[in-house]
Amino acid sequence: MALSLEGHTARAFDGDLSSLHVQAVTMGALVIEQVQLAVNAYSNWDRAAATLVLERERRVNLYDTEIEEAALQLIARRQPMAQDLRAVFAIDKVVSELERAADEAKKLALTVLAESEIHGFRPGAATAREVRQLGRLAMVMTRTALEAFDHLDATAASAVVEQDLEMDAEYAAALRRILTRAMEDARQVQAAIEAAFIMRSLERIGDHARNIARHVGFIGGEFDPTATGVMPSDMRVSVDKP
Amino acid sequence: MDTAVEVERAGINLKPSGRMPDGEVALAPIESGKTVGNIEVEDPIFRCRDVDVYYGAKHAIKKVGIDVAKSQVLAMIGPSGCGKSTFLRCLNRMNDTIEGARVEGSIMLDGKDIHDKKQDVVQLRARVGMVFQKPNPFPKSIYENVAYGPRIHGLAADRVELDEIVHSSLQRAGLWEEVKDRLQHPGTSLSGGQQQRLCIARTIAVNPEVILMDEPCSALDPIATARIEDLMEELRQSYAIVIVTHSMQQAARVSQRTAYFHLGDLIEVGETDRIFTNPRHKLTEDYITGRFG
Repeated sequence: MALSLEGHTARAFDGDLSSLHVQAVTMGALVIEQVQLAVNAYSNWDRAAATLVLERERRVNLYDTEIEEAALQLIARRQPMAQDLRAVFAIDKVVSELERAADEAKKLALTVLAESEIHGFRPGAATAREVRQLGRLAMVMTRTALEAFDHLDATAASAVVEQDLEMDAEYAAALRRILTRAMEDARQVQAAIEAAFIMRSLERIGDHARNIARHVGFIGGEFDPTATGVMPSDMRVSVDKP
Repeated sequence: MDTAVEVERAGINLKPSGRMPDGEVALAPIESGKTVGNIEVEDPIFRCRDVDVYYGAKHAIKKVGIDVAKSQVLAMIGPSGCGKSTFLRCLNRMNDTIEGARVEGSIMLDGKDIHDKKQDVVQLRARVGMVFQKPNPFPKSIYENVAYGPRIHGLAADRVELDEIVHSSLQRAGLWEEVKDRLQHPGTSLSGGQQQRLCIARTIAVNPEVILMDEPCSALDPIATARIEDLMEELRQSYAIVIVTHSMQQAARVSQRTAYFHLGDLIEVGETDRIFTNPRHKLTEDYITGRFG
């Protein structure tokens, strides 16, 4: 059936549910900006941008708390059932995923600030390019997942799972490339380790986007056990993969 | 029953995920007797098939088929006038008392047709007890309220046995501790919740197999309601319970299976766990999420 959060006999219920949904989407837009900014901060080694990411992280957390509170209120006051119940449940989970994605962006920013202070070195052009590429993918995934969530479109959401496979492949390839460079030039080892962590963060952002997509499917009635955020083993890309 | 068969029964096009295609169901006319979900259970106490009820010219229940399982609470929900109470009253032939009411189809209690000519209606109502919306104790003592049934059915040989039945019935209804010192007080002197539990004690005093409850908590406060709900959980170990309720939360709390009625049709039956999280029929979804009408 067409998914809609509206049409309740009690109009106020429509309002409560929509406002919860809209808040979560707005938070998502902020998180995409955070990721974009953090990737720029890293690839341009821009301390100002990194500082901005940290400042705005507080807003992300505020959204997280407010939406959680509103969801709790809605459950207490309206006792949602069926698709409404699934929606409230899923919105809360989407918000958690967004918050964690923002945390990954924060890690990028922190790396920029800490490393530029202590060592004064910046990633090489090749590494910056790899990070930009992975960052682009992470943002595309988050945007696709968020759009699917905005329109409650489970079909659109399923595209994110495909994109995640691409992300995993890109991540593994990028990792191999920086490790090769590190092996060729031992002075690069420190930078390579940092870059590996950064790439890992971006890959994680992709995972959060994929989870958001699954939560959208959950609202639509697809009871996917992995939608609970437990990552299936075949989806996991380990750093020590050959 | 697998999904494909259910789909065929439902006469509608379900996607493999079990979801309804957009808009189609809402517009599709309801075909009576085509219930979504599995109406059958293993070893049922009641097996109802193609039940039609008419009040004069009004067709109140249309081709309803459903099993009632032993040791389970079956909740029947739906908007006012959907036929859930009418159907409940079919199960112990309470509709017989309504002028112009006509019941067709088969209702088998433990494999025997309750409309059989040899069926003694008084006996049937002892096997299938009923608790009503408003507590209705007899204008007699607490003791007499419970003792009345066993006495007319000859269930007690002497006063000692009768005392024992009254005691155990009140105990099982969770009322004994509150009334043991005033068994001779009038039943009507009790609070609403206590009166309802007295009516339940009265029902179980005659050893029924099934207890029908028609909105048993709608006149009670939340605390009395919680006690009755607790009691239902205990009672279902020994009896099959069928409850009609307007409170979806109550249906979700107390029942193991839920049936959704709409304008005389049984739209959907299923495990309560599923009905309230992921109903299959658009009408069920609309009703339980408050999008009705």
